[in-house]
Amino acid sequence: MDRSRRNFCLGAGAVAAGAASLEPAPAAAIQARRGGDPAHRWGMVVDVRKCVGCQACTVACIMENDVPENSFRTIVSTYEVTERGKAGSTMLPRLCNHCEDAPCIPVCPTGATFQRRDGIVVVDNSVCVGCAYCVQACPYDARFINHETQTADKCTFCVHRVDAGLLPACVETCVGGARIFGDLNDPDSSVSRLVREADPKVLKPEQGTRPRVFYVGLDPKFQGKVDGTPTLWRPSAHADRAHAEKEHA
Amino acid sequence: MDTSIVELINVTREVAWLPWAVQYFFLIGLSVGGLLLSLPGYAFATTFAQEGWRRLGRLALLVALTCGLAAPVALLSDLHQPGRFWHFYVVFRPSSWMWWGSVFIPFYVTGLLVYAWACLREELQEHGRVDSRLAALYRLAALGGGRDDRLIRATGLVVLGGAALVALYTGVEVAVVKARPLWHTPILPLQFLTTALAGAAGLVLVLNRFAAGNDRGVERLANRLLAGFLGAVMLFGGLWLALGLSGIERTHAEALESVANSEAWRVTALWAVLATVVPFAIAVARPVGSGLLTGLIAVHGAWMFRWTVFIGGQTVPKTGAGFYEYALPAGPDGLLGIVGTAGLWLFLLLVITAFLPVPPDPASRPMSRPLRAMAAE
Ligand code: SF4
Ligand code: SF4
Ligand code: SF4
Repeated sequence: MDRSRRNFCLGAGAVAAGAASLEPAPAAAIQARRGGDPAHRWGMVVDVRKCVGCQACTVACIMENDVPENSFRTIVSTYEVTERGKAGSTMLPRLCNHCEDAPCIPVCPTGATFQRRDGIVVVDNSVCVGCAYCVQACPYDARFINHETQTADKCTFCVHRVDAGLLPACVETCVGGARIFGDLNDPDSSVSRLVREADPKVLKPEQGTRPRVFYVGLDPKFQGKVDGTPTLWRPSAHADRAHAEKEHA
Repeated sequence: MDTSIVELINVTREVAWLPWAVQYFFLIGLSVGGLLLSLPGYAFATTFAQEGWRRLGRLALLVALTCGLAAPVALLSDLHQPGRFWHFYVVFRPSSWMWWGSVFIPFYVTGLLVYAWACLREELQEHGRVDSRLAALYRLAALGGGRDDRLIRATGLVVLGGAALVALYTGVEVAVVKARPLWHTPILPLQFLTTALAGAAGLVLVLNRFAAGNDRGVERLANRLLAGFLGAVMLFGGLWLALGLSGIERTHAEALESVANSEAWRVTALWAVLATVVPFAIAVARPVGSGLLTGLIAVHGAWMFRWTVFIGGQTVPKTGAGFYEYALPAGPDGLLGIVGTAGLWLFLLLVITAFLPVPPDPASRPMSRPLRAMAAE
């Protein structure tokens, strides 16, 4: 049974060309992994052409993981793109890439951040000292300090759900069927097939992190730091105030 | 190409290394700088026989001690879970420069205390000879001894090692962060070191005015050193800019690109140039009589550099467009943290100088009078 997503329907135009690399991490990095089932390697493929920008995933993640106000483990960056007088929009769901060679891991001075043998990168928030070195080291701004736990926080691929045989909340809830989750170790899984055949991209490949979140149909202009006019609406604009209020309480 | 992109929705990541981190890197840098400046007058006193180095070294030691004792407090406060700091010490994490830092800092601070004690033992002994109620305390602190040049040299060498490790780790810890092009440059550790030395020389000049007898010899020497350090700051700054502009090295070009179009960053760059060139010119042209001014500018320059690197650097989004806004919060995560560490430093300075006032130097007095007249013109 393919439990990659609720509704599997391969988008047209998925041509096999230059399949994204799935080379594994350095041996030392693999050795340091613990927990999880090494038989699997969880990954996600996001088909940005199917994303409608509804942010249902953003909300589902917040509800599922009790993400504090003004913080986000996943968000769908939304851009208005005007090309030759024609305006359109681009949606880019962002989350932790559960990188194969994750720069957030070696910098952690306490070992609170580690990778499970199934590839999921997690933070043990009973060990984390909140030094935020990992926040600096992640090239994707995927991490933040959770002000309720005062420790590092980020997407875990809903590890508690995956361990129970369920899909991550964002995948489960995805309206457009844009988020596809599955086992990259299984050659027959949808994610494996898409990675093989749909020529997906990863974000910031030059950072050498070997992300395990892939994007189908992504315009290269959005692969790195987006060169555009800054956002009109910033969810965390009032975070400082909210934080300060909390501190006074 | 007529493509325009407007970001409609994205996340703002707030700075995760707070102004506490700026304070820490500033204070530990100045401490290391002060320690280095104290060595010629104490640990290598036989090589640098002149009295001037000794008097400068006495002030530099004060810089090293006050800043070195306040710095770890700022560092601890930058952790969001400060009570868990012991978690550093129950693991072996050689891949993390921050972990190495947790080993180097206690080593350096302990070494600094022992070295400072060795340097000041002579003074403790002298205070113990004066008939006062505290004499017994001074005698106890002197541990029944006086000046011991071999001990000073030995402890000086050990703490020099500690200072080198601290300078190394503080620089590399930030420079290895590939995710931030502005930080990811091998020049950064050298910039931290040279601005720290300039800041330490600056603080020596300021203390010379307020905590010592406004010694002209010290002022001249410290101003000369300051000019040298500022020269090095300009050199490394120029090198960074050249690497960025030439585009030979991708990270540097990217770093420059990420901020070049920002008005605020251009103002900051101009500010940095002025804060380096102006005290340099004054220190060269008028090494005597300008110490308070050059000193204050140099201290401010060292602080601004760190503020720009840490707070400014964190306002550059890694994936999003434009910049994250930063407003200094009034509470402990912002202004209160800065004022608090400054207050702690001042407290340490008052305690140390009350217990061990900088000794007046009779030899410098006659020489300084005509110079003071000259400076007053
Ligand atoms: S995306 Fe960032 S937080 Fe996630 S594994 Fe990669 S480096 Fe770590
Ligand atoms: S914030 Fe926590 S998880 Fe991140 S590097 Fe520090 S100790 Fe490790
Ligand atoms: S739920 Fe699916 S369609 Fe909606 S924003 Fe998220 S990824 Fe896009």
